Amino acid sequence: MADVQRFDLLDPAEVARFGGIEIVAQGVVEGFLSGIHRSPFRGFSVEFTEHRAYQPGDELRYLDWKILARADRLFVKQFEQETNLRAMILVDASRSMAWRGSPDRLTKRAYADRLAAALALILLRQRDATGLITFDDVVREVVPARVKAGQWARLVRGLVDTPDGLGTAAQAALVRLTSLLARRGLVVLVSDLLFDRELALTALRYLRHRGHQVIVLHLMDPAEAELSGPPEVRYRDPESAASVVVRPRELARAYQATVRREVDAWRTACRRHGIAYHHILTDMPFGMALRLLA
Amino acid sequence: MTFLHPLALVGLAAAAIPALLHLLERRVPPEAEFPPLRYLSEAERQNARRLKLRHLLLLFLRTALIALIVLAAARPLFPTQASGGSLHEPTALAVILDNSPSSGLVMDGRPALERLKAMARGSLARATASDRLWLVLADGVARAGTREALLGTLDSVGVSARRLDLTAAVGAATRLVDAEPLPAREVHVVSDLQRTALGSGRAAVPRGVRVLALAPPNQGAANRGVGTVRVTDGAVAVGIVGTPGAGREGGAAPVTLRIRGREVGRALATPGSTVSITLPLLGPGWWVGEVVLDADELRADDRRLLVWRVAPPARVAAPPSAGGGPFVGAALAVLEEGKRVRRGEGGTDVAIGDRPQAGTRVSVVVPPAEPALIGQVNRALAARGGRWRFAEAGTPGVIAGLAVPGISGVQVTRRYRIEAVTGDAGRGPGNDSTVLATLNGEPWLVRDGTVLLLGSRLDTAWTALPATPAFVPFVDALVNRLARGEAPVSEVEGDPRVEFRTHGADTIGAMVYGLDPRESDLTPAPPALVRDVLGADVLDGTAFAAARFAGAGRHDASALLLVLALVFALVELGVATRTR
Repeated sequence: MADVQRFDLLDPAEVARFGGIEIVAQGVVEGFLSGIHRSPFRGFSVEFTEHRAYQPGDELRYLDWKILARADRLFVKQFEQETNLRAMILVDASRSMAWRGSPDRLTKRAYADRLAAALALILLRQRDATGLITFDDVVREVVPARVKAGQWARLVRGLVDTPDGLGTAAQAALVRLTSLLARRGLVVLVSDLLFDRELALTALRYLRHRGHQVIVLHLMDPAEAELSGPPEVRYRDPESAASVVVRPRELARAYQATVRREVDAWRTACRRHGIAYHHILTDMPFGMALRLLA
Repeated sequence: MTFLHPLALVGLAAAAIPALLHLLERRVPPEAEFPPLRYLSEAERQNARRLKLRHLLLLFLRTALIALIVLAAARPLFPTQASGGSLHEPTALAVILDNSPSSGLVMDGRPALERLKAMARGSLARATASDRLWLVLADGVARAGTREALLGTLDSVGVSARRLDLTAAVGAATRLVDAEPLPAREVHVVSDLQRTALGSGRAAVPRGVRVLALAPPNQGAANRGVGTVRVTDGAVAVGIVGTPGAGREGGAAPVTLRIRGREVGRALATPGSTVSITLPLLGPGWWVGEVVLDADELRADDRRLLVWRVAPPARVAAPPSAGGGPFVGAALAVLEEGKRVRRGEGGTDVAIGDRPQAGTRVSVVVPPAEPALIGQVNRALAARGGRWRFAEAGTPGVIAGLAVPGISGVQVTRRYRIEAVTGDAGRGPGNDSTVLATLNGEPWLVRDGTVLLLGSRLDTAWTALPATPAFVPFVDALVNRLARGEAPVSEVEGDPRVEFRTHGADTIGAMVYGLDPRESDLTPAPPALVRDVLGADVLDGTAFAAARFAGAGRHDASALLLVLALVFALVELGVATRTR
């Protein structure tokens, strides 16, 4: 029962009622870290330096099993934190992100902001230089990756200062982002991916080619995963003039299958290029979303 | 294919409701933002054909569902060879139930009428509301009505005293059903099919009318009955009728004459013979008797009533000088010899002449030979309070009248018209006036109180009557019966009984009701004869039941349509829910 009260495991919309991005992100991170009792992203930000003899009390997971097998001696691996690892969080701020299927849920953009803030806080706490880029059809905000004090506040401000959905052609901005990420590091893309998959993958592949470790967080409102609504409705794309009249009840099954295919296509394409892909619904608690990255 | 309730087909217009709803519901749908429109468009593009097929299928299913329900409500009927079903095309059906006296024959302990009624009930029971029905009984009246009404009538039918002429009845029934604009027309003849029930000629059966006749028993039942009874010259002549050559029952049987319940005579008679039973001496007046045979399976014809009057012969005067004429004189001589009249004894009851005779009870007045004397005769008639008189000479013609047997059709060459003094010649001007015979529609023999007026002299120069065999009986009836104001004893078909006719305090005639003697002959008509005369298919009970409405047998497809509609409804439900 104690876990249920943790911020990171509460309903995102409920958590959002406690305050702004900072408070929510801090609460989520506190809960999240107390839950796992270790740094979740050690593999990202630390590097192996040397071996030393095993001392009682050392964690067995750092035991070098190969030496043990070869020489029958117990050694543990020691790591050195890399202070110059750069993590850039890319948040899609296009018009489609400012949508929610129900007033009881956060918009995709609000969810993305809070998730990005929490992720940044975790990274900064383990002394990873963390930056932020928001974009729609153009790059809106760029906060360079730093590790110094006040960086998280700058990141949060960057999120707050980015207005909701003005642009509609996110893939163009995504291509442009590649030039802003000169040094290799971790790139986390938080987006609803409602743009041309091939173009987006081209940009992501380029990042991957440049040595970046890329993680894609595919946000989706539950109402986008399962079609429902009045007997007949004209749905309009907020990012274009396109519209279509449908009868949700008779198209629901086919739509659900299409969404599933699309998600599978993204997952397959990302895996093929060494890109981590996670499909996140906006009613998923932040802690669970962060755990996907651990 | 026909429909039991064709008006329900108007409901087929409702089949257009799904299409109309589809068109009318083309309203502007509400708008909403939906970012993943690309997924939606993709899903719709991939399912466009399936959705179109689904819409068309649903439209078809819903339209067909309504059409099927409406068709089922209209009760479609398909022609079928089998007659086991209770449905058939609308049929004009006349059931002829022969409940004539012969149907009272007891066979195997049950009246034959019960079997006939059961068959007739079977025909009526299978009728539907769209049929037009008649029930014809022995009285020949075609009773139209609903199935329930006619079944009720049928239940109350008993053995009638009337003979049914099947030929006439079938002819009338076929004309009746033929006049109905219905797809099928049938006449069911439910009768014991006596040979004597077939009248003269043939029934003209219109094309398209089926006549089914229930086959009679193979052999005619033995029977004998009292056919005719006539009182003549102090004796009763009894004619015995029956089924010819019908076994031992065809032998001699005792015939008993009873008067007022007392047996007064007895004789042995065989069917086809006539026996005479002597009457005892009876006092003047009207007498009722009955002739009785020993009981057999057909009780109705074992007894017949008779009525006769015992009266002294009339005293008649017909002097030739007064216009009586030689023929009248000769006839009276014959009657006197037969003790039917008396002449020259005391007073005169009836005087025959060309003017009313004083001192007689009744005067029979013929026209005077001289036309110039007509006025004188008329004045004499008027002086006696007569309401009729001789008028100008009338046209020749033939006599018509039932009051005096035998004179109908006799030629008259000369006559005077007889006219009422004050109009209303048909009935005469007073209650005592009766037109007894006519000629060319005009009175020829009139009874006017105590005067009988004849339009012609009883002479061969005026009429052929004196030269006919009927002349003596005519004169007998004239002086013994008509002059007294008596009507003849008539025999009428009906329940055995006697009805007397009275005039004031006097009994002037009687009607004796009895059965038609032809009913006693139970010989069945051969099927070939029935086919020939009635144009009917003669069928035994089983075949008759199977053949009823066979030409118009139909199968009600409404149940099948409802099952089909249910299947369509289930398919529609499946398509509407499972293919979303």
